[in-house]
Amino acid sequence: MKLPKYINTTISRLSILLIIVYLNSSFMYGQDSMEDASITVTFSEEDGVKTLIAAATDQEGLPIEDLELYFYVKRTFSLLPIGDPFNSTDENGIIEMEFANDLPGDTEGNLEIVIKLFESDLYNDMTVEVTKDWGIPIIIEDPKSEKRSLWSAAANAPLTLIVLITSMIAAVWYIICYIIFTLFKISRIKD
Amino acid sequence: MKKDKLTQEFKTERERKVLGHLVFTSPKYKLWVAFLILIIIFGMFGYYRQLRYGLEVTAMRDYTSWGIYISNFVFFVAISLVGSLISSILKLNKNDWARPLTRISEMIAVAAIICAAVIIIVDMGRPDRFFFVITHLRIQSPIIWDVIIISTYLTISLLLLFISLLPDIAVCRDKLTAIPKWKKFMYRVLAINWKNSDVQIAKLRKVTTILAITVLPVAFAIHTVTSWLFATTWRPGWDSTNLGPYFVSGAFMAGAAVIIFAMYLLRIHLNLKEYITNRHFDKMGRLLVLLSLVYLYFNINEYLGPAFKMVGVEGEHIIELFTGKYAPMYWLVQVGGLILPIIFLIFRPFRRPLPIFIISFFVILGAWFKRFLIVIPSLQHPYLPIQGVDESYLHYNPTWEEWAITMASFAWLLLIITVLIKLFPVIPVHDKIENKEEVEPKSLKNEAS
Amino acid sequence: MENKDKINSSRRKFIKNLSSGTALAVTGLGLYSLSSCTSSSDEENTTVLTPEGKLVQVPKSTMKEMAYEPVSPEESRQGIPGKKWVMVVDLGKCKNARKCIDACDHHHQLTPDRPYIKVLEMKDNEKSAPYWMPKKCFQCDNPPCVKVCPVGATYKRTDGIVLIDNERCIGCRFCMAACPYSARVFNWGEPPVAGDHEHYSPETSVPSKIGTVGKCDFCPDMLRQNKLPHCVVKCPNGVIYFGDENDDTVTNGDETVRLSTLLRDKAGYRYMEELGTKPRVYYLPPVDRMFPFEKNTEENSES
Repeated sequence: MKLPKYINTTISRLSILLIIVYLNSSFMYGQDSMEDASITVTFSEEDGVKTLIAAATDQEGLPIEDLELYFYVKRTFSLLPIGDPFNSTDENGIIEMEFANDLPGDTEGNLEIVIKLFESDLYNDMTVEVTKDWGIPIIIEDPKSEKRSLWSAAANAPLTLIVLITSMIAAVWYIICYIIFTLFKISRIKD
Repeated sequence: MKKDKLTQEFKTERERKVLGHLVFTSPKYKLWVAFLILIIIFGMFGYYRQLRYGLEVTAMRDYTSWGIYISNFVFFVAISLVGSLISSILKLNKNDWARPLTRISEMIAVAAIICAAVIIIVDMGRPDRFFFVITHLRIQSPIIWDVIIISTYLTISLLLLFISLLPDIAVCRDKLTAIPKWKKFMYRVLAINWKNSDVQIAKLRKVTTILAITVLPVAFAIHTVTSWLFATTWRPGWDSTNLGPYFVSGAFMAGAAVIIFAMYLLRIHLNLKEYITNRHFDKMGRLLVLLSLVYLYFNINEYLGPAFKMVGVEGEHIIELFTGKYAPMYWLVQVGGLILPIIFLIFRPFRRPLPIFIISFFVILGAWFKRFLIVIPSLQHPYLPIQGVDESYLHYNPTWEEWAITMASFAWLLLIITVLIKLFPVIPVHDKIENKEEVEPKSLKNEAS
Repeated sequence: MENKDKINSSRRKFIKNLSSGTALAVTGLGLYSLSSCTSSSDEENTTVLTPEGKLVQVPKSTMKEMAYEPVSPEESRQGIPGKKWVMVVDLGKCKNARKCIDACDHHHQLTPDRPYIKVLEMKDNEKSAPYWMPKKCFQCDNPPCVKVCPVGATYKRTDGIVLIDNERCIGCRFCMAACPYSARVFNWGEPPVAGDHEHYSPETSVPSKIGTVGKCDFCPDMLRQNKLPHCVVKCPNGVIYFGDENDDTVTNGDETVRLSTLLRDKAGYRYMEELGTKPRVYYLPPVDRMFPFEKNTEENSES
């Protein structure tokens, strides 16, 4: 069918526009076409060796291969990277990571493990946080209790020092008081 | 209507000589007191500036954070030990020749301790918080030990002075007539009913002996604790186990020189030639030689170790003292203030009043500058290099405010002693405590003039 | 002739199409970028608790951050519970940029003659190379300064920090004589104070008071808000690592590492360990230098 000329150009322009728009969205944003991966974490411990197993699957439940995941443990100011710098899922979508035995946790030994997925071409960024008591429990000093030492507050001076100084001062001042008392008695002597 | 002029009569020559100046004020005395007060006023102005602008007006900065206030403090604590030397060591040793000197030595000790306490408050950055030392004290701090021991020693020295003065205050109360009412009242109160009765004498004798024994450990402790202000830190020259004996022996030596100095001045101005005799100078000279030899021994110990090893900043410190910036001062002090006096005083002619007076003056001067050399050079050699600071941080040249305040502290010392001498007889009038009769002035024939 | 026209017209057509297509493309891109802008700034809500006890969602833009109120001197004697602060300085990276000094001086309102941080030019012996060593208070575990303070104006907390209470300091300067690392500075004159500060807190060391002493305090006011101290953040070369020994982790803002690993692998040491003060600042030896040593004659002249 022969279309009028102007309709031809309009259609060609519109199609160019549509093509450009489609390419735009798929290259620059990917939000519509990028998937959400789902990461599950399991723990296994054998012979004192702790292993963290992360399994990545896509929306259909199929394992994702060659996906880079980053493992961290939450610390006071920042996230501490654990394990190897780069971890990629194998063909089953699984990363097995050996977990260090000597990471300090909180008072109960809990650690907040953070797994991040970012800078992936196919999947959206996501963060998974898991708490696990694989840390070494730390003992928190009671801020109000202080051991006796030379550098502690006045109330917690070493006992030896206190006893020594007090006894020496007491001895000398006892003598002084005795002398003052004697002088007093001298003044009271009636001839 | 004119008031009746009160007349003063003295029964014995001794009384007249010893008590005369208590009653009659010479113009010389007034001039002297006026001079001292002038210096004190000048010093007070310097202190006012320091209170207003802060310690910035001194030459102390972050590295030389202790200056001549602290070295002056150490010097005053040092000469305060003279009280225990004469009143305790010589007395217990039954050195009777020293008895006329006990009073003046106690007066010097009391005045020196008071001035030491004053100069320490001057050195504080926040003197308005001085009482924190009592309310918030930390028993672990060497400064607190120093505060405790200084107050204890001051109390004991006051007691020693009072106890030795007691029979003479009674004499003043009884014999002095031409004095103002307030003085009469003062003598009556201070004499605490002293009647020269046997019971009183017995009690006083016991108390004197107890106090003479007690003051000795306290005197040793006071200067050792002061040395711990330095020995508990990591500074070259301070980090030494020898510092305690070094300070104490230096204190006895400086104190002996101060006594000789005072003896001479009193002899001249109060006309006490019969009581402070050439024999006293001779004996004190020999004592000074002995104490200086002990001090020389500790000096050698103090410097030989570090000089042999030349460890890091200790080595730099030794070089600076021996051949560097402080070398002139160091050698003048050691040779002129220590070695030469020893050599001269071994010979009898130098132990006559005037020569020994001059030598003692140099010993005292040497002792003051020695304390300067102990405090300041060590602070200029910390472990970490001094970098990136103003040129003024590297040198310590005390400002006029510091000198004014230091001179004022000396003026205070002399003023307290002068006032005490004016109020109380400086030579014992009666020697009833030691069961001796009144001693008539010795004939001049016995003395080598 | 006809061919030429045909060619001309097709060329014209092509250019027309191309230009209109480009215009449409640009329009399309524009539309998309606009839409993406709006889509990424979705109004973020945050949950707050009303006085009636209800949980409501409020847009974040309406919330104002509350100014941090530093703790009082009495409270500052307790440490932040469960922490034991430690610092590691990598001498291989320090270039004497002095940004740490600027940040510290600014935060604590210091004048250049009273810096809490000093960057020193060190040379261990005649043959080894010079290097820059940033030095602050080491917050020692066996602190000589705390031992000698007569009034308890300086104190050691359970979180390892040694603080100074300028409302109790009597200015005796014994702590300055006792510190072997020359870490303390004194307010000899009246310190200039900016802003109005009703409440003095030892944790900020602001405002400084005349006749009292001051030193690096590891910025506890920042630590209580879970932020790193100013010198750590402002260093452009990542020289200073800071963290909690209980966590066994230190970070310099970019890099987070395990403390034990860092000290073991890079042979961390403490300055003048033999003095027995047990400093809480470790140094990593200046090996594998990132920058050649350049002497900055203006600020760090050898005295």
